[in-house]
Amino acid sequence: MTTLRAFTCDDLFKFNNINLDPLTETYGIPFYLQYLAHWPEYFIVSEAPGGELMGYIMGKAEGSVAREEWHGHVTALSVAPEFRRLGLAAKLMEMLEEISERKGGFFVDLFVRVSNQVAVNMYKQLGYSVYRTVIEYYSASNGEPDEDAYDMRKALSRDTERKSIIPIPHPVRPEDIE
Amino acid sequence: MAARGHVQDPNDRRLRPIYDYLDNGNNKMAIQQADKLLKKHKDLHCAKVLKAIGLQRTGKQDEAFSLAQEVATLEPTDDNSLQALTILYREMHRPELVTKLYEAAVKKVPLSEEYHSHLFMAYARVGEYKKMQQAGMALYKTVPKNPYYFWSVMSLVMQAISAQDEKLAQTMFLPLAERMVEKMVKEEKIEAEAEVQLYFMILERLGKCVEALDMVRGPLGEKLTSELQSRENKCMMMYQRLQLWPECNALSYKLLLKNPDDWQFYLSYFDSLFHLMDKSWSPPNEEEHCVEGPVQTTVAEAVKFVVDRMEEEDKKESRPLRGPYMACLELIHRLRQRGCPDEQELGDPLELMLQFFGKFGDKPCCITDLKIYLHLLPPEQHTQFKNRLGELVPLGEVGEDGFGFPGDTKALQRHLCVCQLSRVLGLQRVLDTEGKLCLITELKAHYHYGLQFGKSCLKTELQFSDPYCLMVAHVYIDLWTETGDENMLWQCLGVLEEGLSFSPSNAQFKLLLLLLFCRLGAFQPVVDLYSSLDAKHVQHDTIGYLLTRYAGSLGQFAAASQSYNFSLRFFHSNQKDTSEYIIQAYKYGAFEKIPEFIAFRTRLNQSLHFAQVRTERMLLDLYTEADITSSLEESVKAMGLCPEEDDIPWDNMRDNRDLTVLFSWDPKDRELTEEHRRLSLEEESVWLKVRSLTLRLLASLALLGHAPSSRNSDKTNENGVSAKSSTLQTLLSQLDLTLQTAAQITEKQTQYPFLGPPSSRLATALSSGSCHCQASALQLSLTLQELETTGLDDSSELQTQICNSFKSLIVQLQELLSRCKGEVLEMKDSRLMTQPSLLETLVFFVETVWV
Repeated sequence: MTTLRAFTCDDLFKFNNINLDPLTETYGIPFYLQYLAHWPEYFIVSEAPGGELMGYIMGKAEGSVAREEWHGHVTALSVAPEFRRLGLAAKLMEMLEEISERKGGFFVDLFVRVSNQVAVNMYKQLGYSVYRTVIEYYSASNGEPDEDAYDMRKALSRDTERKSIIPIPHPVRPEDIE
Repeated sequence: MAARGHVQDPNDRRLRPIYDYLDNGNNKMAIQQADKLLKKHKDLHCAKVLKAIGLQRTGKQDEAFSLAQEVATLEPTDDNSLQALTILYREMHRPELVTKLYEAAVKKVPLSEEYHSHLFMAYARVGEYKKMQQAGMALYKTVPKNPYYFWSVMSLVMQAISAQDEKLAQTMFLPLAERMVEKMVKEEKIEAEAEVQLYFMILERLGKCVEALDMVRGPLGEKLTSELQSRENKCMMMYQRLQLWPECNALSYKLLLKNPDDWQFYLSYFDSLFHLMDKSWSPPNEEEHCVEGPVQTTVAEAVKFVVDRMEEEDKKESRPLRGPYMACLELIHRLRQRGCPDEQELGDPLELMLQFFGKFGDKPCCITDLKIYLHLLPPEQHTQFKNRLGELVPLGEVGEDGFGFPGDTKALQRHLCVCQLSRVLGLQRVLDTEGKLCLITELKAHYHYGLQFGKSCLKTELQFSDPYCLMVAHVYIDLWTETGDENMLWQCLGVLEEGLSFSPSNAQFKLLLLLLFCRLGAFQPVVDLYSSLDAKHVQHDTIGYLLTRYAGSLGQFAAASQSYNFSLRFFHSNQKDTSEYIIQAYKYGAFEKIPEFIAFRTRLNQSLHFAQVRTERMLLDLYTEADITSSLEESVKAMGLCPEEDDIPWDNMRDNRDLTVLFSWDPKDRELTEEHRRLSLEEESVWLKVRSLTLRLLASLALLGHAPSSRNSDKTNENGVSAKSSTLQTLLSQLDLTLQTAAQITEKQTQYPFLGPPSSRLATALSSGSCHCQASALQLSLTLQELETTGLDDSSELQTQICNSFKSLIVQLQELLSRCKGEVLEMKDSRLMTQPSLLETLVFFVETVWV
């Protein structure tokens, strides 16, 4: 059980238990403010009865409607270790999909590290499939090689023929994704 | 950088190389190219501005500025010049000049939508709300688009929010904003959701909740679609403000039927229920209770509602939700608070919690959930509770070491939860040393056994049994604080290091290690530990204190300086960053976010940590870099330090530190309280005041010591000097007062929870005598200054005074020094290590003034 509500700036002071996770990036303030200014409805946080932040999702809507590429995008999704195994990530994803449905999106997409098996499997369970691989999408810092990403997608009801999720066989480079 | 799409314009073609040089960071070439171009085309103003940008970026601010002003006074109206000047002014941190620029431009080209909108944004950047309101309207009159009209409305709301006088906000700005929106409503011109949001904001701020409700429920409310449950949430907010408890109750009920896990609505459901009971409310007619549907007004109904929700969950095939079961405990808690006997109908809290554990004991959050309601159990039930919980944990057969182990991760999690609960209940604390050591052996055995379940874990994942390891560390810390046996601490470090070797991403291990090393005065490993946490941006403000509190005080000046710099860089970018997104919020119509962003910016600017690192950074620079007096004066000047000015927001200081970042399963009476937070902030503020006054005193001494050449001949200069020594006098008496307050605070000897905020440096600074020593040194230099003004002949009294002060200062210094002596490893008081250098500076100082 959890209180789901809009993420606000003050939550940035309280999200350490979520963001001290090694796979959760802490972005610069402009990044969060940009999302809050442009897509506030896509930035949702869940709070435990004791007031601890449990997890949050941050997303946006983008793409051309004419080319049937208008879609919801998951920018960040993270749940604090102690609030995992509750289905919270699934709930947050469901909300993001619902918002994207209302906006008339054709699909929802997200990027995930190829190595992050836990996340990849979770997204598969939620109905996402690998649309394409993006080579060296994640740049590493400490001398390790850059890592590939899966671009995963799930069709929304507007894409009746589920055209948007037909996989692209060849991997693409980050500069080639629009 | 600028509009460069139209290559057909010959000027664009000519300017392009300069843009390219600037974009590539080749400022020198940009300047050269601009000069070349200007020789041929004298009137190509943009080239001048681009040259100015190059100059600005190579540190020639003054030249850049005068060049820019040459162009600005011509009031240019070409895109290139305007955009280049905007960039330049922004880099110069002079956004107010951009407004002047576009004011002139719209005067010359009054029909330009673009310039009007640039002007609006330029005002937004500097927060000129009144002018924004006018610019928005002017824009709307030029091009009647809705967003422009509502920019103007929003600027009125901002005038209301920023008004010193709340009356002015309520009687002038907000009503005007309301009328402006009403006009559009009447003319049926409302188009976007953002406009409805803004209308709601205005009505809400005016306290017109009834009108706001009508609006949200009416046709305009239909536009509120982006956010999920937007209308319901807004209605709920208004019901609560209007204390419309029937509606609040009925809506909560409906929303809970839809999602029985949404905690906020249980709270509003119970709140409203009890309000209704207190008022003995009954529905006006049986058919329709209120617009939101049926209302529940009795405990019996509430009990049934909660029990029904739990039964629903019990029946479910998929995983049950925790909400209903937690709601049951919450209801008992509330009934008990009211002294209502009906709580028994829900069952015995002990049994309910056991049932909760049965269902959710294998979830890591079980402890966090149950912790809230443990007070429902009387203390005499605690042991029984723990034992009954133990029965629900499937453990394997007891082996040679006397322990049975879990067979899978679910069983492990259950066992862990029982350990955590018994710690929270205080059952670990009451154990004697022997008992605690046995507990440690048991927990360690479980820890090691549990590692097998996480063999396939990636190094970015946590081990299932990590919390055992953390708890072992906590018990060692208990032993250390109780017995003073340092061996316990070494054991603790060992176990945490071991934990980290199996679980290299565990932030809790790192945080605790970091804290312990700092307490031990062993700073060496701390920097690496902290950097492996990868704390960035806003985290500098929330957990940066872990590093900055100790780096300087342990004499690690290089590390201290670096950590101050990281934090400062973050704070300094804040101002610029936030204004950019305030502007974006206007563009996208996220009106609600505008006051939020401004409040956020203020919160960062008023941060305690910001003020601390700012002050410490300058003090450190003065101590470490100023070897000779001239450079001291230069340093002071370079820092822009002005002794007369106090830029710390003492009355509105915000404590943004995350003081619960370290996990704790300590019993309630050892947890961090609001009172601890208040005391810690008070203590840190006083210490900051001491430091900031010391800094300002040093600065004023440095500036004072340096008007010697003309002191006796030049009258004005003399006046200057005496003004400065009066500043000095004021600052000294302030320091004196602060030290008195400080003494009162340290007398309280506040103890914070071990995992809570570290104590400030105040207590050691006072008890070591360092504070008073510094104060007398500063006082002495003031007396010396007096001597200098009075002259040597008429001041025998003063001279004796100085002589005595010197003697006593030397005694104080010697005492302090003697306290610093000793082996580092034996030394308990790490603060003392920093004293010698600090005092050297001061002694040095006194000498310079003497000369």
